[in-house]
Amino acid sequence: MPIAVFLLQRLAGLVGVLLGMSLLIFGIIHILPGNVAYAILGEFATPAAVAQLEVKLGLKDPLPLQYWHWLDAMLHGNFGQSIVMNRPAAALIGEALGRSALLAGFAFALVAMGGIALGLYAATHRGQASDKVLTLAQFVLIAVPEFFWAIVGVLFFASWLNLLPATGYAPMSEGIGSWAAHLVLPVMVLSFGLVAHVSRLTRSSMIEVLDSRYVLAARARGFAEQRVLWRHALPNALLPAITVLAIDAGLLIGGIVVVETVFAYPGLGRLLVFAIERHDLPLLQVGMMVVTAIYAVANFIAEVLYAVLNPRIRVGGAAA
Amino acid sequence: MPDALTVKNAALDIEALSVAYPSRGGWLQALDNVSLAIPPGGVLGLVGESGSGKSTVVLALLGLLGPAARISAQRLNFDGHDLLREAPMLRGRRIGVVFQDTAAALNPALTIGSQLTEPMRLHLGIEPRLAWERGTDLLAELGVPRPAHVMRSYAHQLSGGMKQRVGIATALAGEPDLLLLDEPTTALDVTIEAQILSLLDDLRVRRSLSMLLVSHNLGIVDRLCDSVSVLYAGRMAESGTTRAVLHRPRHPYTKGLLAALPRPDRPHAGRLAPIPGGLPDLTKSDPGCNFRSRCAFSAAGCEQPQALRGVVHQVSCHRVDDVADESWPVEAEPPANSIAPRARLPLLQAESLSIRFGGGGWISRMLGKSAGVLAVDHVSLSIRTGEVVGLVGESGCGKSTLGRLMLRLLPARTGTLNFGGGAVEPEASRDFRRRAQIVFQNSDTSLNPRQTVGTILGRAVRWFDMATGAAVAAEVDRLLDLVRLPRSYATRYPHQLSGGEKQRVGIARALASRPEFLVCDEAVSALDVSVQAAVLNLLRDLRDELGVAYLFISHDIGVIAHIADRVAVMYQGTIVEEGPVDDVLHPPYHPYTELLLSSVPLIGRERRDSPAPSTGAVAASQGCKFAARCARKLGPVCDTLAPPVQQAGPDHAIRCHIPLSELAAVPHWLGPPA
Repeated sequence: MPIAVFLLQRLAGLVGVLLGMSLLIFGIIHILPGNVAYAILGEFATPAAVAQLEVKLGLKDPLPLQYWHWLDAMLHGNFGQSIVMNRPAAALIGEALGRSALLAGFAFALVAMGGIALGLYAATHRGQASDKVLTLAQFVLIAVPEFFWAIVGVLFFASWLNLLPATGYAPMSEGIGSWAAHLVLPVMVLSFGLVAHVSRLTRSSMIEVLDSRYVLAARARGFAEQRVLWRHALPNALLPAITVLAIDAGLLIGGIVVVETVFAYPGLGRLLVFAIERHDLPLLQVGMMVVTAIYAVANFIAEVLYAVLNPRIRVGGAAA
Repeated sequence: MPDALTVKNAALDIEALSVAYPSRGGWLQALDNVSLAIPPGGVLGLVGESGSGKSTVVLALLGLLGPAARISAQRLNFDGHDLLREAPMLRGRRIGVVFQDTAAALNPALTIGSQLTEPMRLHLGIEPRLAWERGTDLLAELGVPRPAHVMRSYAHQLSGGMKQRVGIATALAGEPDLLLLDEPTTALDVTIEAQILSLLDDLRVRRSLSMLLVSHNLGIVDRLCDSVSVLYAGRMAESGTTRAVLHRPRHPYTKGLLAALPRPDRPHAGRLAPIPGGLPDLTKSDPGCNFRSRCAFSAAGCEQPQALRGVVHQVSCHRVDDVADESWPVEAEPPANSIAPRARLPLLQAESLSIRFGGGGWISRMLGKSAGVLAVDHVSLSIRTGEVVGLVGESGCGKSTLGRLMLRLLPARTGTLNFGGGAVEPEASRDFRRRAQIVFQNSDTSLNPRQTVGTILGRAVRWFDMATGAAVAAEVDRLLDLVRLPRSYATRYPHQLSGGEKQRVGIARALASRPEFLVCDEAVSALDVSVQAAVLNLLRDLRDELGVAYLFISHDIGVIAHIADRVAVMYQGTIVEEGPVDDVLHPPYHPYTELLLSSVPLIGRERRDSPAPSTGAVAASQGCKFAARCARKLGPVCDTLAPPVQQAGPDHAIRCHIPLSELAAVPHWLGPPA
């Protein structure tokens, strides 16, 4: 299959997923029983206030039309207005997203590098004591949920050692030291479980590759062990790791909600929780759309990367 | 005659090599006191069935046994170097190796060119651009078409035969003096195998290479090697010149191997002689002959250690002189309730069956990119009651697909199927499923590992309402009796069985519904020769006892010649020749049949070049599909006009434009040389 057809297919799939998700998000909020205006204003709202809000939000229109208006507005860059804060949702989400991206970016880099490095180390030291210790640590990290580590981290580093701030966020303008200190605990907690996950997978895929015939053949050709590992084994072992990293990018976004709540970190996750608590439905809709889009795009990138790195997909067909 | 075994300046000289691996049951003695020698420019064949330790020899020479293995040898010398110490410095440089499955031995993430030039750059210090040129030349030398293009390709873009040529090229890239060949043609079609063998023969002369050929295939050893060593369960059984060992075998194991081999030049040669039992437990040390429990000639003295006797032709058997004139015993033929073939009634008739595969994803289809390929192209074939019809052809020719179409396991695009006088609808009835069954190649994967043999067979018995309640167990016993397995096996799990036993269970399951028709899809191909013989005998007996008809699909012409009454030869989805087995194996042949038969590595066949096939691979859409490869193509008529069916005899049809008289005027490839 030529690469252009492949890209076209995946791109069509991406658009399809986003459309489907927008429909689902819209449906969850509007089709579920209960009056949306009441949900926003609370059960003691006056009928007049409810009617006024319904007109303002266009709730009297038929649902498909409402959906179309919402979608059309988003496509034109209008992401609606937060009801509670009375500011454009786009601006609110933009600020929060920037801070979350910082958290997620550092965590993802740690997961990718740490996970792959530990996995490769374990695979090349298979059966040795260090491999067994790593395996045990990985299981513990995968099995215990992240909010537990969050609490342990806060108790240990903030309350007991008084080394790091327990919660909050400091902008860069308040000094780089304070900015970084506020990031350390959330990033660690966010990445621990995923580092374990990625390193488990990298380990098993590297072991499979090391046991393969082409690695035996490379050794039989008399190459040095380092060369066999880096040039012949690694590129093949990394392919499955990339797929898992994309899935983990999704898990990371889920984890952000928990971590931001625990650390009172003003990011996208916390904004979503806020929108849910305060019935800020326009903000919630857009926030969910953004999260979905990030996940879908991450998957899209992973698939393209996989194809680019895998000659079987990149160059199909027969040569001779 | 040069004495291969005591050569002074041997290229490779192994004396008393022993290798043991740690295993759950203790140290597993994979090799025990093995000695070999190859003179410069000589080719030694190392022969043995699975578990004989022949691949361990290759890994030991390369120093790649792994840190857990325990290795000892009085001498392990290559051209004056001690391989026990220096193997890592010599492998890839002076010792090259070609592995069995090159598809797996080529790195999927690197181009052919980068893998081929790597040894040149690293070991010979050739600068990259020159190495690339040399690599291209090397591919051209090995007969790879469009070498410059192949250099930039990846392994998955090449055909099996091309991959093996590339595999040989990478082994030669470091300019070795010794080439280790570990089952180099086992995964290949017989026509490709023949080409690779001539290539190796050629290389040996041109580059004065020494070679160690490890193989289970006695035919290719006979074709390529000067001398042979036979390995059984880690020990040397016999060694000597190829002629002596394969034509006048002296060790009982070698005699047994040769007697178990179905040979295409001896169709219907009565029963084969299987070797009973299985490999000894290699974790238990046994000073005596390790073959004695399976040996037809064992006697007092076999429990004593056996020394290699003889100088040139060495045999590790104390009874070698007693049994010199005896051949491996063949069990008596059971009284056949033979129905004369002519009296047999038609059982199954396939009329113009076809199926199309592929066509790509929905976008490709929308763009009209590919219409797929006709894997089976309007094939008609009929089978009579109790008849064995063999179906041969290269991999990908559609023979397995045809077998599945004839069972309605795949939906046919066109054609009809009649069975026992009635039409079989595309949605096959339960009754048809009961009466027509299949035996797969790989019982490892077709038997549920979580069920006992009794459960597996019992389920089939119940499913087809052959018995209920307590009668099921009796029926399972009957099935185990049928396939000559002890009834106690009902409580065993598949992993507790040997390969041959698993295949018997697969056959028993297919027989559970008392079918009249069985498709055997490469049913004996994964088995060792000594075990295969027993399963082939069993299948023949079952045909005689139960009157079951088989469609016997195999790539092995020896097996087909042994078991089939009639043969159909398939090429790219069409049957090009069909007839009684004796007629098909004699001229006149279809040119494709001729190519197949001339490619079969036969023991004792003079080295004759088979008709060289042309390299074009794309089949004409209108005319004969074989035209592009045919060495005897007449001209444009072959490309434009579908070949007519010519009757070469009663029931013997050949689909070809060439007149019968010309098709008959070719050598009898399976007969004695003219």
